[in-house]
Amino acid sequence: MKTAGLRYFAAALVVLLGIWAGLKFHSVHRLEAPGAPVPAGVAGAADPKENAAMEAVPHPVIPAQLPEFSLNDLSGKSTSIGAWNGNSLVINFWATWCAPCRREIPLLKTLAADWAGRDLTVVGIAVDFPDKVREFAERFKIEYPVLIGEQDALEVAAKFGMESPAFPFTVFTDRRGEVVALFVGELHRPQADFILSEVQNLNQERIQLPEARRAIADGLEAMADKHTG
Amino acid sequence: MFGMARVAQAKPWWMRGIDSNETDFLPPDVAFRVAARVEGNVVKVRWVIADGYYLYRQKIEVRAESPDLVISAPALPPGTVKTDPYLGTQQVYFQQVEALVPYSRIDAGAHPMQIKVTYQGCAEAGLCYPPITKVVFPTVGSPASVTSVPPDSWESTAIIAGACAFLLAGLVLRKGRKLDLPA
Repeated sequence: MKTAGLRYFAAALVVLLGIWAGLKFHSVHRLEAPGAPVPAGVAGAADPKENAAMEAVPHPVIPAQLPEFSLNDLSGKSTSIGAWNGNSLVINFWATWCAPCRREIPLLKTLAADWAGRDLTVVGIAVDFPDKVREFAERFKIEYPVLIGEQDALEVAAKFGMESPAFPFTVFTDRRGEVVALFVGELHRPQADFILSEVQNLNQERIQLPEARRAIADGLEAMADKHTG
Repeated sequence: MFGMARVAQAKPWWMRGIDSNETDFLPPDVAFRVAARVEGNVVKVRWVIADGYYLYRQKIEVRAESPDLVISAPALPPGTVKTDPYLGTQQVYFQQVEALVPYSRIDAGAHPMQIKVTYQGCAEAGLCYPPITKVVFPTVGSPASVTSVPPDSWESTAIIAGACAFLLAGLVLRKGRKLDLPA
């Protein structure tokens, strides 16, 4: 009986080993399979490994404080973002070839006009060719400051954690230069007004930064729910 | 304008978490996946476009990258007409698009074939990606061989190993039972 017991034990061990081997190799296979599924009849990605890498891009590092940088303005003069120290900023990254960026321009012009004389400055950062930006700014009568750059503007975008940027995106700071919000995608008036009301609360020291961020997060989520619900 | 529901879902970074790269928008190489294959004297370049994203027809370019390759202008199907008050009327592609690119080779295939593709697109939710340029190595073969996942020898081995283990276990158990039978 003792020998039989040992044999039962050995058999169970072999079975478990077999199951373990099956599961192990199966999971290895799945991990090595190409990334996202592709519809039937459609060619897969050129390099599945590259796609898998894209889905695990490095973590962005968003600065707590507005980083220092300089770019040329519309006249070609190098301008530091520090020129507006003491103001709250709405820094809008855009490009002339980007339709949602162009749609945002009237809103940004309105914000600049509405907040004129109240320590808030709208700054456009065009990641584009200077000639195109100058022509566009003239045609659309952009009066708020616009800085321009190509690779140097991409490096500025990276300072805000946008290593491979898509446009538009907008950074909001309070007057102490704390980065209050980074909004990716096309901005609309209700969102802008809401974020700016919290920036004002911060400026008037009615709330602290974490509270403002939480309020903005909750508020924007409620707006999203309202429009999806 | 604010009625665009998905626009309102664009989250500020702290909703994603500072240590996370997760956003409501896809990375460009996930939003737009490109591959190419050779069929006869044509290279077929296909883009698979994620839901809610589109590519501009006029921004698609295909060029020869390998030195022995001569290619003609890509033939693209008509796209969906999209009218934007700021950019005018454009043709765009949703879901997928295939460009047919006739080609010839000077050295009868001594070099691996490489093409360079450029494309640019946006998310309907209000975000545009800069133009993307990639070097693509077209595969040779039927569409099925491009789309199917190659059989994996590890999985086959694992299944056989598992089956052998069960068989062995069964034999051992059977033998054990015989021994336990009452006389």
